[in-house]
Amino acid sequence: MYIVIAGAGRLGLILGKKLKEGKHQVCLIDKSETLCNKLAGELQDILIIRGDATYPDILQQAKIEKANVCVSATSNDEDNTIVCYLAKELFGVKRTVARVNDPKHIPLYKYMEVDNPVDSTSIIARVVEEEASFTDVMSLLSIKKGRLSIVRVDIPQASPVANKALKDISLPHNSVLVSILRGPDIIIPYGSTVILPGDEVIAAALIDVEKELVKALIGKI
Amino acid sequence: MRYIIIIGCGKTGKNLALGLSKEENVVVVDKSLKNLDSLGDDFNGKKIWADALDINTFEKAEAKGADAIYLLTGNDNINLVVGKVVKRKYGVKKVILQVNDAMKKKIFKEEGLTIVNRTYLIAEVLKKCIL
Repeated sequence: MYIVIAGAGRLGLILGKKLKEGKHQVCLIDKSETLCNKLAGELQDILIIRGDATYPDILQQAKIEKANVCVSATSNDEDNTIVCYLAKELFGVKRTVARVNDPKHIPLYKYMEVDNPVDSTSIIARVVEEEASFTDVMSLLSIKKGRLSIVRVDIPQASPVANKALKDISLPHNSVLVSILRGPDIIIPYGSTVILPGDEVIAAALIDVEKELVKALIGKI
Repeated sequence: MRYIIIIGCGKTGKNLALGLSKEENVVVVDKSLKNLDSLGDDFNGKKIWADALDINTFEKAEAKGADAIYLLTGNDNINLVVGKVVKRKYGVKKVILQVNDAMKKKIFKEEGLTIVNRTYLIAEVLKKCIL
């Protein structure tokens, strides 16, 4: 795929390198001349363009009309929305992804029809919360506007499912165990897999049965 | 009295706010308290200290009932994005934005948005000076 990334700051740069390793064609756009010169010396096979990506002629230089995805990762929400808007409206890019710097600005991205606004602040907040908290249930991800929810549950000693094989456990309809994290191991469970106290279970459930699922796993809510 | 929202209280916004507030119901929004204070005691309207990129700001400013919104933040991209969004979300009749880059003005032409370019205006006035 060909991917154009606006903003070669920390996020844009890491992303560019990662995508390049994944054998994608990558173009980075950044305003800073110093940064662009430095990157041009360091990075082979990544096209670097110096300029303000909120201008169509700069996007054109990046051959954005050929891009499968446009990512805008600058630290300005107004710039990110405009880059994605131009990519889509003017150059027909199918998929636009943007970094949201301030979660309060998310509606802006929605109204400007950015396909995937990625709210970095909230994601980090959630990770930090998870690291810092002692709760045994953590919502990891919600998909399709929150209808599908992926949760991590720590299995307590008193759990009704502890020391039982998966096939002997009854989980609510519309929910499934995805994996079990046991110490350093990641286990993809089968019917015969036994859940132990202290396991971390990753499960997916439709939002209306999430509570039921948690109850089934830990015995209370 | 018409209800008018002015986003951005720099030189242009301030001047406009002071002028309009004599006859109209004016609300000025800026993220800088200093800019809002610069309106002084003569300003006869409401001030909101908030971020224009936050849609809640427009709920607070009751954008739905506005007759006109001016976007004068001094940042073309903010003016454009917010202009488009308030037009789409609140259907405000008159949305006037200052965009100083002629190229952007061309791209963002959209029904219901009045885009004003300072350089172009000054050039026009200067031309008329020798007529």
